[in-house]
Amino acid sequence: MNMLEIRNLHARVEGKDILKGIDLTIRAGEVHAIMGPNGSGKSTLSNVLAGREDYEITEGRVTFEGKDLLALPPETRACEGVFLSFQYPVEIPGVSNMVFLKAAINARRKHQGLPEIEAVDFLAWVKDRVKKMHMDIKVLQRGVNEGFSGGEKKRNEILQMLLLEPRLMILDETDSGLDIDALKIVAEGINTMRSPERATLLVTHYQRLLDYVKPDFVHVLAGGRIVKSGGPELAQELEARGYGWLDAA
Amino acid sequence: MSLRHYTDAFQQLAVQLPSEERTAREASLQRFTQAGFPTRKLEDWRYTDLSALTDQSYALPSPATPDLSHLHLEAATAQIFVNGGDGAFTDTGREGGAVVALNAAFARNGLDLDIGPGQSLAQPLHVLTWTGHRTSAMTHLRHRIRLGANARATVIFHHAGEGAYLTTQVTDIDLGPGAQLTLYRVQDESAGSTHLAQSDVRLARDSVLDAISIDLGDGLARHDLNVHLDAPGAQAGLYGLYAPSGRAHVDNHTRIHHRAPHCGSREFFRGVVAGSARAVFNGKVVVHEQAVKTDSETRVANLLLSKTAEVYAKPELEIYNDDVKCAHGATFGQIDEDAVYYLRARGLEADVARALLTQAFAQQVIDRITHAPLRALVTRRFLERLPQGAMLETLL
Repeated sequence: MNMLEIRNLHARVEGKDILKGIDLTIRAGEVHAIMGPNGSGKSTLSNVLAGREDYEITEGRVTFEGKDLLALPPETRACEGVFLSFQYPVEIPGVSNMVFLKAAINARRKHQGLPEIEAVDFLAWVKDRVKKMHMDIKVLQRGVNEGFSGGEKKRNEILQMLLLEPRLMILDETDSGLDIDALKIVAEGINTMRSPERATLLVTHYQRLLDYVKPDFVHVLAGGRIVKSGGPELAQELEARGYGWLDAA
Repeated sequence: MSLRHYTDAFQQLAVQLPSEERTAREASLQRFTQAGFPTRKLEDWRYTDLSALTDQSYALPSPATPDLSHLHLEAATAQIFVNGGDGAFTDTGREGGAVVALNAAFARNGLDLDIGPGQSLAQPLHVLTWTGHRTSAMTHLRHRIRLGANARATVIFHHAGEGAYLTTQVTDIDLGPGAQLTLYRVQDESAGSTHLAQSDVRLARDSVLDAISIDLGDGLARHDLNVHLDAPGAQAGLYGLYAPSGRAHVDNHTRIHHRAPHCGSREFFRGVVAGSARAVFNGKVVVHEQAVKTDSETRVANLLLSKTAEVYAKPELEIYNDDVKCAHGATFGQIDEDAVYYLRARGLEADVARALLTQAFAQQVIDRITHAPLRALVTRRFLERLPQGAMLETLL
């Protein structure tokens, strides 16, 4: 079954049309990369899928595992297994990472009809994943993303992803602002999550991340539409030639 | 203007008093009736309207035995004043404005704490005042705290009640050299209440005051906190959280007088204003001419949770010498909707996300409460007032 089906999706923000007819199908187990120049609508697509309310959907539909995704509020989408790794994770002073993670995990468990997670199990599990992301255990006591560097924020996103175990992972420019070591750690985190039951949508400007997380399909987004689709070799072509040749094509 | 009900009530009280006390109290009553309740024409009362009190009829209180077990505080010694308590009427008051004069005319003795030099209070004192009456009644209490040199104490004033009433609380505090007082004030009065309080604190050399004020009440509340840094090295920290909702009105006026060199004051207030509530904060720091090397900072931040909530917050500085370090600032804002989206994108319901962010904002003041049972009580009462707040209790 198709995990995600996007059909003729149009979206606008502040009266400006951004997405102008996106069609995309993602099946379980696949990794899709969406590439494109700045302003092509990459982040809009990510946020429309996650449920940000600033966008107006003017046409089209999106189904996730057979459900009408656009009808669901963001929290229900998250509980159903849609995860967006933010391009700019928000700093939340005063809310500790620990409280935040526990709240997020228990929200999902509640949605699934499961009891709240046992404190001891939770702690052990979180500590294990923190180690996997090469993060300091002390971050758990700090405010969510509070005073984090760009790289720390991105790692924190992947940490949340490891803990929430989503079905669809949308990674919005997760590679931007990362040095090569952090990029490898983040890529390893993403690869850990790859499985036949899960799908991944990598939204990126550069080919760099794709060296570490091999996509099955690459799509080029320009002017609010997917203008070209292909295999991993398309990413290399884009890296070599830039985005300009697509306009001419 | 008619204050007839107050003079009538006084006549009832006066017959019970020995003549000497009666005379002193008559003088206070006269000062009160001449001045009347402050009007909004006065700069200090611009946003707090007491005019409705003038024609109100409040009876003298009668004894009651309510069940106050839900207000019990662990790890503290309770001293409870129900309907004004049964203290004597020996304290005949002092100079002050109309509210102090009203209090001086009617007040029973409340807390009278005297800690000798070098002594410490074994555990915090929980001073609970509770007012509740079949008819509208008024209670007036006069509290005193004196700490000798290097003495230490923690005092928790906790004000609650039921129904409609007027209560005034006047507190005088003297800190000897090197003394340290942690003073909590939790105002949790009922929706029909009017709570008028004034506290004056005098600090001797190297003494330290930490005053943490929490306003959670649903009525009209006003607290004037006057701090006098009278000798070198004295330090005052004033912290506050006001969280009115519904139709509540809360007004905090603080005055810090720097009268000696090398004193410090920190003031940090946060407001969470919901519903059609109104909050007023006025924090004035006066640095007198001789108070060189003063180090002072005042910060107030406000979170408005509804379009009909109002807040008037003003930090003020008056400086009469130029060898000082003084800063102040005020901010006003709403919940960060980007943060709400972020939390929702991780599965938290919108109301829960907003409650969590609101609680985090308030926590910066609540964390100042080092007495764990009190911190738990304040956190619980604060969360109870937020939609979905109760859900957070299990999380924190």
